[in-house]
Amino acid sequence: MTKVQLQETEHATPTESIRIGVYVCHCGLNIAGSVDCEAVAKFAATLPYVVVSKDYRYTCSEPGQELIRSDIKEYKLNRVVVASCSPRLHEPTFRRVCEDAGLNKYLFEMANIREHCSWVHLHDRESATEKAEDLVRMAVARAALLEPEEENTVPITRKALVIGGGVAGIQAALDLADTGYHVYLVERDPSIGGRMAQLDKTFPTMDCSICILAPKMADAGRHPNIELLTNSEVQEVKGYIGNFKAKVMKKPRYVTDECTACGDCVPVCSVTVPNEFDVGLSTRHGIYIPFPQAVPSTYIVDRELCLNKENIIVCDKCIKACERQAIDFEMKPEILELEVGTIVVATGADVFDPASLVEYGYTKFPNVITSLEFERLINAGGPSGGHIIRPSDMKIPETVAFIQCVGSRSERGHLYCSNVCCMNTIKDSLLIKEHWPETKIYVFYLDIRAYGKGFEDLYKRAKKEGVLFIRGLPAEVIEDRKTRNLWLIGENTLQQELYRINAEMAILSIGIEPRKDSAVIQRLLTLSRTQDGFFMEAHPKLRPVDAPTGGIFLAGCAESPKDIKDSVTQASAAAARASILMAKGKVTVEAITPRLIEENCTVCGLCARVCPYNAIIFDKEAKRVEFIEAACGGCGTCAAECPFDAIKMRHFTDEQIFAQIDAATQLDAEKKIIAFCCNWCSYAGADFAGVSRMQYPTNVRIIRTMCSGRVAPKFVEYAFARGAAAVLVSGCHIGDCHYINANYQTLKRVEKLWKKMERLELNKDRLQLEWINASEGERLASKIREMQAIVGSVSAEEIENSKKMMRKG
Amino acid sequence: MESKAIESPKELQEQLLDMEKLKYCFECGICTASCPVMEITSNHYNPRVLLEQILLDPDKVLKKEALWLCAWCYRCYKRCPQRLKVPEIFLALRKMATRQGHLEGFNEALRTVSRHVPFPASYCWVCLHPERSMLDRQFVESALQNATRFSAKERKRRAILAQEAERCKVAVIGSGPAGLTAACELAVEGFPVTVFESMTKLGGMLQKCLPTYRLPKDVLNAEIEHMKDLGIEFRTSTTVGKDLTIGKLRREGFKAIFISTGAHKSRELKVEGCNREGVLHALEFLKEANLGNANVGEKVVVIGGGNVAVDAARTALRMGAKDVAVLYRRSREEMPANPWEVSEAEAEGVKIHFLISPKKILGKNKRVAALECIKMSLGELDESGRRAPLPVEGSEFIMDSDMIILAIGEMPNLTFLPKEIEITEAGTIAVDPFTMETSMPGVFAGGDVVLGPATVVEAIVAGKRAASSIERYLEGEV
Ligand SMILES: Cc1cc2nc3c(=O)[nH]c(=O)nc-3n(C[C@H](O)[C@H](O)[C@H](O)COP(=O)(O)OP(=O)(O)OC[C@H]3O[C@@H](n4cnc5c(N)ncnc54)[C@H](O)[C@@H]3O)c2cc1C
Ligand SMILES: Cc1cc2nc3c(=O)[nH]c(=O)nc-3n(C[C@H](O)[C@H](O)[C@H](O)COP(=O)(O)OP(=O)(O)OC[C@H]3O[C@@H](n4cnc5c(N)ncnc54)[C@H](O)[C@@H]3O)c2cc1C
Ligand code: SF4
Ligand code: SF4
Ligand code: SF4
Ligand code: SF4
Repeated sequence: MTKVQLQETEHATPTESIRIGVYVCHCGLNIAGSVDCEAVAKFAATLPYVVVSKDYRYTCSEPGQELIRSDIKEYKLNRVVVASCSPRLHEPTFRRVCEDAGLNKYLFEMANIREHCSWVHLHDRESATEKAEDLVRMAVARAALLEPEEENTVPITRKALVIGGGVAGIQAALDLADTGYHVYLVERDPSIGGRMAQLDKTFPTMDCSICILAPKMADAGRHPNIELLTNSEVQEVKGYIGNFKAKVMKKPRYVTDECTACGDCVPVCSVTVPNEFDVGLSTRHGIYIPFPQAVPSTYIVDRELCLNKENIIVCDKCIKACERQAIDFEMKPEILELEVGTIVVATGADVFDPASLVEYGYTKFPNVITSLEFERLINAGGPSGGHIIRPSDMKIPETVAFIQCVGSRSERGHLYCSNVCCMNTIKDSLLIKEHWPETKIYVFYLDIRAYGKGFEDLYKRAKKEGVLFIRGLPAEVIEDRKTRNLWLIGENTLQQELYRINAEMAILSIGIEPRKDSAVIQRLLTLSRTQDGFFMEAHPKLRPVDAPTGGIFLAGCAESPKDIKDSVTQASAAAARASILMAKGKVTVEAITPRLIEENCTVCGLCARVCPYNAIIFDKEAKRVEFIEAACGGCGTCAAECPFDAIKMRHFTDEQIFAQIDAATQLDAEKKIIAFCCNWCSYAGADFAGVSRMQYPTNVRIIRTMCSGRVAPKFVEYAFARGAAAVLVSGCHIGDCHYINANYQTLKRVEKLWKKMERLELNKDRLQLEWINASEGERLASKIREMQAIVGSVSAEEIENSKKMMRKG
Repeated sequence: MESKAIESPKELQEQLLDMEKLKYCFECGICTASCPVMEITSNHYNPRVLLEQILLDPDKVLKKEALWLCAWCYRCYKRCPQRLKVPEIFLALRKMATRQGHLEGFNEALRTVSRHVPFPASYCWVCLHPERSMLDRQFVESALQNATRFSAKERKRRAILAQEAERCKVAVIGSGPAGLTAACELAVEGFPVTVFESMTKLGGMLQKCLPTYRLPKDVLNAEIEHMKDLGIEFRTSTTVGKDLTIGKLRREGFKAIFISTGAHKSRELKVEGCNREGVLHALEFLKEANLGNANVGEKVVVIGGGNVAVDAARTALRMGAKDVAVLYRRSREEMPANPWEVSEAEAEGVKIHFLISPKKILGKNKRVAALECIKMSLGELDESGRRAPLPVEGSEFIMDSDMIILAIGEMPNLTFLPKEIEITEAGTIAVDPFTMETSMPGVFAGGDVVLGPATVVEAIVAGKRAASSIERYLEGEV
């Protein structure tokens, strides 16, 4: 076996005696199916410093882990490289393995040959194997330069903030409070309860919604550990895991705690509006209680509606009517500053507005209603006392039609399935049958999704009761102008026959959509959202209730459309995850923060200017630059900004990145794309492309940084100097940066580089910038396909030019 | 879809999957239930099933008649939950069938059309768009001749047979596709039919405004000539409401009346300067163009986003305008004109500017010289289900122009109707959607006068529905 010489580079070579072990994982056939793992392992053995190299079927299995542990001891390994899946998945696993064997976990490196290789190059074994070898070469080159690091710990405030008081928020708050933590439960509406409070019965058990919810609401209201902040909104959140500072605005109710909810004030109030709780099917007064079981059980004045505008009291009827003198128009908004260690986001979801689907005639035809309106109509506590009456003439309809998937699974609404509407319709049809068994019920559907426990039984029951399920959605609903009955016209696709069905009332099974103000919460907490608009979890399988930002957890419909059971389950899981953190009382911060190399620093202060967290103390007078480790997010944009190489980003050092570029460009540089991807969005997006098996050209080499802000212009220039055909810089979308706004610096730097390339008469298309979020695998794949064309058009002369020019700097 | 000729159905399938997201067709049936061709051909056609067949076996579809039946109305597209451009998917396959010489399906489709539509040749040119499928003009003409020969004879034979029965007189007002269809259907069933038309020539919009390059007028006139063989009486230059009234028609013994007067009233633009010389309505412009006496400017600006706007722009370009721009106040997404028509117009050189609205028509002396515009942005959804355009404050700019064509919509002129006939809020005649009967017994209506500006196929559907309800109505009567 011949040793390949490590290419001489102008950058660092390791000093100590390095002993690297490389483990190439087959992942069953997931990797071995399109990469020759054995060959890769043999190749790795030829790389510098590698003392042992093996391929193994499932490296993450216990025997696989044991193999590494024993090799570390046997071969005295001081670096370990595993070539397998994404580090976003198993880096923690293998780091633990290293630690178990007494190796500092920062001396571990991973090559992603599954998500970034075998899965995206399913049909080209040869090139995929070549690429896997390159990726291992890069990993080994970086591993040689890794350094052991010690992690700092920071204390965690043992209090939690729960945003949103629907069933999910209530459950999370109760679980946390019962565990013994203090909880602030912030609800925007005057009462907690959320959507569930509006429902009549709940599938699949058909029990009364408010009957099971009200006791929970009362518990939350009474719990000594829960501080209920209703009519309140979170305005600002600062800080980091374990140490958040939140500003909450508590809007005035204009009714004090003295209120006994007697309701004497209501009849005297002369102004009314449609009642939101009844989806506009009834009215309420200027002073009101949202619903009888509301918690807190206190009335509230709607100042938008009330005749008393700012400071001028023109109407005092309610004040006079209240014997307990609980009405106080002097109340002012309060700003509360809360310190919490963990946050649970349970802001729920909105419902789709079907008015945009004009062919269904919602709002035009009175007898076309939504499923949410139906919930209020069939509810004994609702505006019709539980009678489903049709709006046009208050008659109980003899034929009712349900239309499924309204606004869901559609380019004209939302692309996803809303999960609850099939079962909700089945529930509704049974409720009608229970009260009025003679009613003829049609359900027009696309697919009936009865996937959960007890769902199929309920579906069968509906069929047994004679509900008619017809496959094929109506193309339009037409109103008979005389009777106000409705004609539903569509195709029964199973019979290949057109239908024209007359119904006295039609109910649109509307979907669930992200809250209109999701972007606000997203910004406040630096969360991510999926393409559908719901908040994104850190990992769909392994960390389904963690937000990507440390210390923040997700529950209920805020994360995706789901039913009550799943919302509650997720809420308890989120509470447990938050409790684990708080029980520990401290959290270790990754050792990826910067260190100052004092001899290089000229105290210019450029780094302090770009730090998104204000974590750099810059004192010109005292000639002092200092990093506040606890406040630093670890983005590395300071290091990228420093013109004097005076900042060392631990674990993502300049040398390590240069070594990766070297390794990636060692062979056939002129055909390659070097891609810098940020850990949170674009690297995750590339992982997603892998999981979804999106195929793209094999000549891209991805280098992971925490933030695209870490990508210093010198890295890009170096890649070109080494002869790379093209470079891609990629990060989270502007506004979605995990480090607040560090990617704004990325944009500025790339723009500068483009100008420079123009000046040097280099083809600036060779440097591309693309914002790719974690769900945009296709965007990444198509970007690379597009760049492939650019690579093809770059001439040898152009490559030579850039090698010369960029080396000069 | 244009760029590269794709030969293997497999390749094509993949491309369609990619571009048109065919894989996401849920088979909801909305397209089929929306498709007027389905009704015209008495359920002979089912676009949903055809789409599925493309997935299952594209080779087989190339030879199918159904592939050629779609009439480009885009009703399916407007409602499809997946927004599939169904006619364009079919077009890709039609082109392939043409290239591979599989034209048996097309011939078969023309035979079906001529069994069901009284003016198959005009229908073929206006609705089937054989030119888009790269079919040779001569080939289409001879195919039409073959297909229509037999059915025309058959119709006439039935008409003569039917004439022996004594049946009540029926009046049809308006000789557009709706009126002609109803008249022919009734005539072959033995009803003496009289068609009243206010213009000197017959054919409605097809005659008046449809650009000649889309429909040669001799084709249309020949087909109308044949209708006279069925015993239909045509009274041109007769405007109901002026020369005659509906009451008078009834007194003259017309037991049933079908109103198919179309939508010929142009909506007015409410901005300053509309009365300047050089500002005119699209229908007027197209009418004059068809008569051969329109003048066109150098820099023409068309205001509107519908098919009529696009047709006016293309006609202006053909007539020699140097620069033709269409201004639409929303974005491409919301544009009501058919996407394919729009891309054809753009390919010819029409410039389409989105999110722009006119503010003021500026002029020199009495003539138009320029247009002050304002940029728009899209707000919340409005009642039409589209996002409402809102002016962007301070974004006004000026566009030079010596001819401005307004195409912001047409509506029916209903002043001639008696009070008994109910009108909807939208300014159309209210009818029972299935029988087409108005609120006045014995009076039926259909076509653009009921739907507002729509399409020829929809007008034919209305004509057919009305004819069969009139027959039922009159049978009850006798
Ligand atoms: C018509 C319909 C029928 C349904 N029927 C059933 C059924 O029969 N069975 C079943 O299991 N599920 C059913 N569901 C689903 C069920 O409603 C949800 O699973 C459940 O309500 C989700 O609870 P949540 O707490 O996540 O959200 P929500 O109930 O929506 O609660 C979220 C809360 O957060 C508050 N909030 C939002 N934003 C903020 C903010 N920025 N700051 C502070 N507070 C905020 C809101 O005011 C609200 O109180 C149905 C849903 C619909 C639409
Ligand atoms: C420029 C343009 C291009 C078009 N292109 C297409 C196309 O490519 N494909 C397509 O499918 N559709 C197209 N259309 C639409 C299509 O032409 C109409 O939808 C269709 O013609 C409507 O038919 P109709 O019978 O209802 O009315 P019309 O065709 O409008 O006919 C109504 C007739 O009634 C007459 N009339 C009106 N009032 C009276 C009265 N009081 N007394 C007597 N007679 C009266 C009118 O003079 C007219 O002849 C286009 C329309 C325009 C304007
Ligand atoms: S749950 Fe059923 S009705 Fe709702 S979107 Fe999914 S399939 Fe459609
Ligand atoms: S790494 Fe980022 S957060 Fe930390 S000091 Fe540097 S710029 Fe600030
Ligand atoms: S409307 Fe669209 S989704 Fe539905 S069957 Fe037709 S093409 Fe498929
Ligand atoms: S475009 Fe019109 S004719 Fe063609 S399939 Fe769709 S609905 Fe039918």
